[in-house]
Amino acid sequence: MRIRTPWLLLAMLVASLALVAAGCGGSDDGGDAAGTDGGATTQDEGGAAAANQEITINWGAEPPSLDPGLASDTTSAAILLNLMDPLVLLNEDNEPQPSMAESWEISEDGETVTFTLRSDGKWTNGDPVTAEDFEYSWKRTISPELAADYAYQFYGIVGAQDYNGCKKACDALAEKVGVNAIDDQTLEVKLTSAQPWFIQQVAHTSFLAVHRPTVEKFKSKWTEAANIVTNGPFKLETWQHNSQIDIVKNEEWRDADSISLTRVNGRMISDATTSVQAFEAGEVDVNPNLPTEEIARIKETEDYEKYPALGTYTYGFNVKNVTDVNQRRAMSLAINRREIIDNITQEDQLPATGWTPEGMPGYEMINPSSKWLPEEGDLEQAKTLMEQVQSPKKNITLLLNDSPGHRDIAVAVQAAWSELGLKVTIKQQEWAQFLEFIGPPPDKSIDVYRYGWIGDYVDAINFLELWKCDSGNNSTNYCNKELDALVEKARATADNDERYAIYAEIEQILLGDDGDVPIAPIYFYTASYQERASIKETFSESLLGQVDLRGVEVRE
Amino acid sequence: MGTFIIRRLFWTIPVILLVIFMTFVLMRQIKGNPFRTSERAIPVEIQENLERKFGLDKAWYVQYVTYVKNVATFDLGPSLVLRNRDVNDIVREHFPRSLELGGLAFLFAFVFGILIGALSGLRANSALDYSAMFFSNVGYALPSFLVSTLFIYFFALKWNLGFPTSGWTSWQSKVLPVIALGLAPMAGFARLVRGTMLETLQQDYIRTAKAKGLRWRRVVGLHVLRNSLIPVITAAGPTLGFLITGSFVIEQIFAIPGIGRYYVTAVTARDYSVVMGLTVLLAIIVILANLLVDIMYGILDPRTRDARA
Repeated sequence: MRIRTPWLLLAMLVASLALVAAGCGGSDDGGDAAGTDGGATTQDEGGAAAANQEITINWGAEPPSLDPGLASDTTSAAILLNLMDPLVLLNEDNEPQPSMAESWEISEDGETVTFTLRSDGKWTNGDPVTAEDFEYSWKRTISPELAADYAYQFYGIVGAQDYNGCKKACDALAEKVGVNAIDDQTLEVKLTSAQPWFIQQVAHTSFLAVHRPTVEKFKSKWTEAANIVTNGPFKLETWQHNSQIDIVKNEEWRDADSISLTRVNGRMISDATTSVQAFEAGEVDVNPNLPTEEIARIKETEDYEKYPALGTYTYGFNVKNVTDVNQRRAMSLAINRREIIDNITQEDQLPATGWTPEGMPGYEMINPSSKWLPEEGDLEQAKTLMEQVQSPKKNITLLLNDSPGHRDIAVAVQAAWSELGLKVTIKQQEWAQFLEFIGPPPDKSIDVYRYGWIGDYVDAINFLELWKCDSGNNSTNYCNKELDALVEKARATADNDERYAIYAEIEQILLGDDGDVPIAPIYFYTASYQERASIKETFSESLLGQVDLRGVEVRE
Repeated sequence: MGTFIIRRLFWTIPVILLVIFMTFVLMRQIKGNPFRTSERAIPVEIQENLERKFGLDKAWYVQYVTYVKNVATFDLGPSLVLRNRDVNDIVREHFPRSLELGGLAFLFAFVFGILIGALSGLRANSALDYSAMFFSNVGYALPSFLVSTLFIYFFALKWNLGFPTSGWTSWQSKVLPVIALGLAPMAGFARLVRGTMLETLQQDYIRTAKAKGLRWRRVVGLHVLRNSLIPVITAAGPTLGFLITGSFVIEQIFAIPGIGRYYVTAVTARDYSVVMGLTVLLAIIVILANLLVDIMYGILDPRTRDARA
């Protein structure tokens, strides 16, 4: 008897394990998670459209808000842009194309923009899309009650900043905002100055329309799948928060015939390793979430795809601590950008040659190909320059936020700077604390900090005005009145070439031969993807990180 | 027993108030702006609008009192970062997933832990014992993120056994995360049961039971197991609490829409209302789990029951 009991227990254990195993085996036929269908059709390459036009995308995170007024991140923007019909849509070259607006007219002085809307726009509940919808939406986003992060996008419109900053009795100020629906099809916008980039800016999700009755009825819950009313090529079908967001083709859309995809399932796998595994298991067809350790391997596969992004990764100097321009130049010269890109980031980013990233309209004119940013670094020249520095700042504190990639870059830079006789201490902080620490003004202990900037719209002003004296994003303590004056001048210059020439001057002040070098740009961002061969040809991400599904087609 | 439970439940109120107060103070002590999520600075006007909207412009004690009042009416407030969502929505939608994940993992750990531990204890120093304990030590030592990643790699990807890599939909999708989460506590239970079992087997009353000719199966079931389970139950309470509240890593890796993911991201994003709401919720769970343990004591060990009656 004594022996039997343990064996009985063991038998139970084995039996239960067997049960589990049996369950696993039985699931092969049809029990798979949704989304494999898209993957199944993708083995052979070819040109013809596949019968099954369903794909699954890993968005990587929950979109924080699908309210155009409140969305301020790229995930929300990517989904919103496919659910809604913007007045203008940017094409591959980032030129504005008519979408919900069939045309627009800009007055002589550049300060009045009049959009003429199409008459066949329809909300998913059947209501027509009118100019009033846009007037309502824009004023709603500007209103202090909504407290939208991106309300500042509208500050170029007459009266918008006053209304947004209003504390009480704001209705009168709302009336004064320069957005008016003249009739159902005409939207007139008055700007504070000629802003040639305004049309481009209108392509941003902040400028989409919302459906007033729905917003007023459901308040903050209007974006839930059960309530939402949209007007774009896709409709929101399900949204299980932090898990799944599925959109389907809107057959009632004005140009539905041009849309190939019938359904786009969205997943929110935030762990990069799991994301890659989900792609390789065929559960998702598009995955933008790649871990650095895996990039080298994935780059060798045919699924890898890379897009340039309108963004710059940089180090900023606290010029109150690192006071000598020659020290800043020497420190910038010492950085081997090529080595960082090849060995650390590995995503074939472009080594920065200035502050304004490649791809920006007018880039050829603007970018100085700064001699302080040599691709492979120039230690000899850096050392020579360093010798000229009267009283160098020898102990350098370099502040980063705490993701591993930043640290690896910092360690490479630390090694380079130690060649210049500098003792570099790398300090990492958790994100929210980091942001608090860099200010502006930056904490006194900071000598150098990491910074990244991704454009909101496609005009270099969005990058260059960052280094104005009073800019909320300038944590360098750098202040040059000449630069400020040029930014203001550019704002009032409607002609593109003239404006690009001013931008070029600003770049010279920053990083030109006699430049002040308050920053040491490192690389221009790229976005890496894994994409199933069947959609690789038609899927793309724009410079601003937007994914437009209008032209995507699953091929055989 | 009834008065004991009521008294314990009553005591949760001051504990919760203290938890709210401490979280409230601590969250405001660490720097950070809940409204600035990227490098992009927030213009002064907009920062003020946001603070006014969420009542952060008021004095801290006003904010505290308002918050406590709201909690008393089961209103945990709106999220500061996820602008279309209330903390109540988040709890209602995501807590059941964490509860299910934690509960299943606990069940797995408890059942298999006791089985393996009991086997090892009864067959001490046999090959079976050694291999079970080796397995347990490994399971205990491996961090859950590694176990999870390996599980996905082998079971979902390489051997294609029909498990999806991630998600929380079909029952297949639940197998890997439940085992990954339950593995370490299972190993812990197994080691604990083996230890106490060996100790119990040395006791005089076991020898007496054997001597009076009781069948071995009955000796094990009635005397050995029952007496070995007391320390296991003591450990089970905190373990259950931990499994329900501490599954962040597993939720992250398997992309499970549970509450753990929200908790950690809310701290990083300084989403005060979400952090506070979830802390209150988790405090309640830990208190309840401990209460459950105390009740279990009463059932397993009549002496503790008598002492409290």
